[in-house]
Amino acid sequence: MQGTKVVRPFPFFRAGARASQPQLSKPILVLEDVYKFFRPDQPTLRGVDLSVERGEFAFITGPSGAGKSTLLKLVYRELRVDEGRVLFCGRDIGRLTDKSIPFLRRNLGIVFQDFRIIDHWTVFENVAVALEIVSMPQRLIRSRVAEALERVGLAGRGPEQTSNLSGGEKQRVAVARAIVPEPALILADEPTGNLDPHLAIDILTLFEEINSTGTTVLFATHDHSLISKRDHRLISIDDGRVSEAQQGLKHWQGSSGIHTLVG
Amino acid sequence: MDMKNAITRARRGLREERRLYIVAVTSLAVAFICLGATLLGVTNLDAAAARWGQSGRITLFLKDDADAQDVAQLRVVLEGLADVSEVTHVTPTQARESFLEEADVGADLSALPSEVFPASLEVALVQGVTRERSESIATRLAQFRAVSDVESYGSWFQKLDQLLWGARMLALGLALLVMFCVVAVIGNTIRLAVARRRQEIEVMKLCGATNGFVRGPFVLEGMFQGFASALLAILALLVGYLALHDSVDSTLAALTGSRVVFLGVWTLVALLVGGAVIGAIGSAVSVRRYLAV
Repeated sequence: MQGTKVVRPFPFFRAGARASQPQLSKPILVLEDVYKFFRPDQPTLRGVDLSVERGEFAFITGPSGAGKSTLLKLVYRELRVDEGRVLFCGRDIGRLTDKSIPFLRRNLGIVFQDFRIIDHWTVFENVAVALEIVSMPQRLIRSRVAEALERVGLAGRGPEQTSNLSGGEKQRVAVARAIVPEPALILADEPTGNLDPHLAIDILTLFEEINSTGTTVLFATHDHSLISKRDHRLISIDDGRVSEAQQGLKHWQGSSGIHTLVG
Repeated sequence: MDMKNAITRARRGLREERRLYIVAVTSLAVAFICLGATLLGVTNLDAAAARWGQSGRITLFLKDDADAQDVAQLRVVLEGLADVSEVTHVTPTQARESFLEEADVGADLSALPSEVFPASLEVALVQGVTRERSESIATRLAQFRAVSDVESYGSWFQKLDQLLWGARMLALGLALLVMFCVVAVIGNTIRLAVARRRQEIEVMKLCGATNGFVRGPFVLEGMFQGFASALLAILALLVGYLALHDSVDSTLAALTGSRVVFLGVWTLVALLVGGAVIGAIGSAVSVRRYLAV
């Protein structure tokens, strides 16, 4: 397998990778006056301005249907903005061609509430898929997957069938799959929504550990108990508009109450 | 597309969906058997036509009261022609014996008297004599006094040509039908497989897989189905051919003078490659609509 070309279109997006000074000085994610309409008269996102710095950990919160998932979908280009711009490392995601989208997603790690792991695959296969798509040599895949599983607390459990795992373990597999390509940005869309409070804290801690290595994390949740336990930056979406606090709930300056804020 | 990875994933897909694929391959094999059987018919008709076309011959039926001297003179004339390789005189008794020996009509014909069979001169033409030239020779020979009738087999060739044309059209129609069946069956099979593996596709797309990466294994699976169906059909036809060969061969040899032949190497290659290519196309078309994630 030696000499196999590893497709890594934006190497400077990787956490820990060297990037030029102008690239490093830019925020990793910028939303400029973003609008998204599902119905012509009722925008889901209206005039969203947001800037996320490299290495940041930010909660995105708001009531159900506020537009948290929509915002994340605009970042990984499942949806396209109707107005405004979404810049990832300075590149306008909205202008990417369909053929370029996979190369954008290789620099993102995405984790969902419903895990989205394949039950009839093994733990190893579920994680390895993120590296197989970039034609990485098997030898490297094995070591990188083992490392990722160790980071999420599933060391040595690669051969296990995923269907036998608990909900928390399945989410750890999903997190391992998200971090194994060493993405620049992790988008977590309600990753603790299907877990009990104790496991939710575990998963949140896991994301914080990942963040501590330099990876930017956007963590969407409407779980008040999680948000209140941490002092991360808080981005609240309500009625399609964004308001935020830099140091968590205790510094919240918004006009709405906490219950309105998190739904 | 990483071919090794695509093959690994296609093998896993074939293993996981084996029941679905066995049903699809069996159905398609039946369609391929129909096409193969027709092609086998066309191949054998072609072989018979080629044999008859190459070994051109004319039969001169002699009048019952033909003078022996006239017949001898006619024979000298024939043997002098550059286009003639051999002239054989067949008496009514020989004609009767030959008929009783070769004909297998399921009835006792031994009571037939020799007088029923006219004497004839069997004229074998040299290789390469065209049908037009054969007709021209036959027309001239008909003017001889001892000749009652001339058979140049022109009408027989015409009928054979018509039969061949019909068989070729049938084969073409069946080929189109089989092509449609392959695309439809493989397309639907892959569509079912894709629907069952939709989550896999979604996960791969969200991890940054290109359409080629996702499509690759499905195309290989479709290709395998097409190839396996064609191969299964060829094996079934070969078994049938070997089982019936001896009995059919002797009858055909008696009727047309040619032997039964199996499909040519290139026809077999075309069936296998065609099956694989159409399978791949059917698969690629049906997976396309599931790639938008």
